[in-house]
Amino acid sequence: MLEVQRLAKRLGRVQALRDVSFKTRRGTITAMLGENGAGKTTSLKIALGFLRPDSGAVSVGPGIVGYVPDRPAFLPGLDGWTILGLSRVRGGGREASGNGRGFGAAVLAAARSLLFDPSLLRRRPASYSAGNAKKFAYLQNLVLAPDLLVADEPYAGLDPPSIKRVRDLFCGLRQAGKTVLLSSHMLAEMERIADGFIVLSQGRTVAHAGLREWRLLRSGRTGPDIESVFLRLAGP
Amino acid sequence: MLEPSLFALSWRVTRRRLSGSPLAALGALGLPVLVVWLGVVESYATAAKFFYFLLPHVFLVAAQDAVRSDIDSGALENVLFVGGRFRGYLASKGLALAVAVSAYATCLFALISAWGLAAGAFEPRSVVRFALALVAGLYYLAWAGALSYLMRAGSNVLAILLAQSAALIGLVLSTTSRAGLLDYAATGRFPGLGPKLLFGALTALLPNVVVSARLSVFTAEVLAGLVLAVLVQGRLARGLEIRHS
Repeated sequence: MLEVQRLAKRLGRVQALRDVSFKTRRGTITAMLGENGAGKTTSLKIALGFLRPDSGAVSVGPGIVGYVPDRPAFLPGLDGWTILGLSRVRGGGREASGNGRGFGAAVLAAARSLLFDPSLLRRRPASYSAGNAKKFAYLQNLVLAPDLLVADEPYAGLDPPSIKRVRDLFCGLRQAGKTVLLSSHMLAEMERIADGFIVLSQGRTVAHAGLREWRLLRSGRTGPDIESVFLRLAGP
Repeated sequence: MLEPSLFALSWRVTRRRLSGSPLAALGALGLPVLVVWLGVVESYATAAKFFYFLLPHVFLVAAQDAVRSDIDSGALENVLFVGGRFRGYLASKGLALAVAVSAYATCLFALISAWGLAAGAFEPRSVVRFALALVAGLYYLAWAGALSYLMRAGSNVLAILLAQSAALIGLVLSTTSRAGLLDYAATGRFPGLGPKLLFGALTALLPNVVVSARLSVFTAEVLAGLVLAVLVQGRLARGLEIRHS
């Protein structure tokens, strides 16, 4: 669904990416791990078309791409319903039965599944708390019905019940044959749901493993837990 | 680059932004109020002259807050704009603004024309002057839009207004050329290259002067400047990256 090859990118004086390559398979959840400044967000932004690579290539399969940023921001002056309506146009209105009532019902059901108070939709997202802004970003993506969902720090700002709902959302998307790419520092949470792992360090891919290889890395003497494996891979 | 769904989005955003901006409302309503007042205390002809001359500035005032605010707010880093669609959105936003302000200007022109017809003072050449005022207005939109890739909300318009003020002060202080230059502009005939270049520079900063319809060379200059500004905007959009957060 998504393949990036040998990405390099300089941001000002910083060489943010040196050599990043990875691939995500359809119907899987892939976790991107790395220390602060390892190049995770820059890699995602290049994959999503917000930044241009200095070298390397990005290939995205057919279908709609969704994105939940670390700190979501929305067009000023528009309330929640309006933004969802615009997202519906972007997604071709394929989430609902085609009429306005079907769309509204689908939005309300999705909002409840994310523990998002639907009455907030009458307000502008700029007035939401960080957690509600994050949940609204997920809601916006659900309206799009993406084939590939990319989330940067997927649980940032969310309370434990909401984290569970978002985790269920990822698993539901995988079950539906969609692809999910998550960038996170929450190692245990990633190991709980991911089928594949990408580890970045200093702008380079240092590991790209499927679940089986990851378990091998974890087993025996190499690393008894995910933190040990991560520190071993990403450490100096 | 332009998609119908992006135009629908930018149209909605532009409409909300214009209706929620006190400065845009002041610019849009200030002109008809001034024109009506001039028509009452002076004459329809005087009011019409001011209308055509000042109409481009309605475009200029509306051009504040075009691009940089969206970039700085992080709003372009949204799922709506993945795959580089934010560039198409910015282009369609410029188009939506041009359509909105042109439509408003056309409404004002219809009203002032109806007033002129009722008073028996309407001149057919007013249509040409209106078209020239539209060109000058679009020139402002294009350059203010290009500047807004580099400057924060309102600063783009302020920079143009400051440049205009500096040019006008310079013109007033240059006692040797002032009277001659304005006389040449009134007749549309410039003896020699020097006054032509000087007036060309003034036109680049204050394109409103072409509404007199006697300055076809300078109208061509404004049109060329408009095309250039659109090309500059396209280049800035192509090179734009969203580095917020």
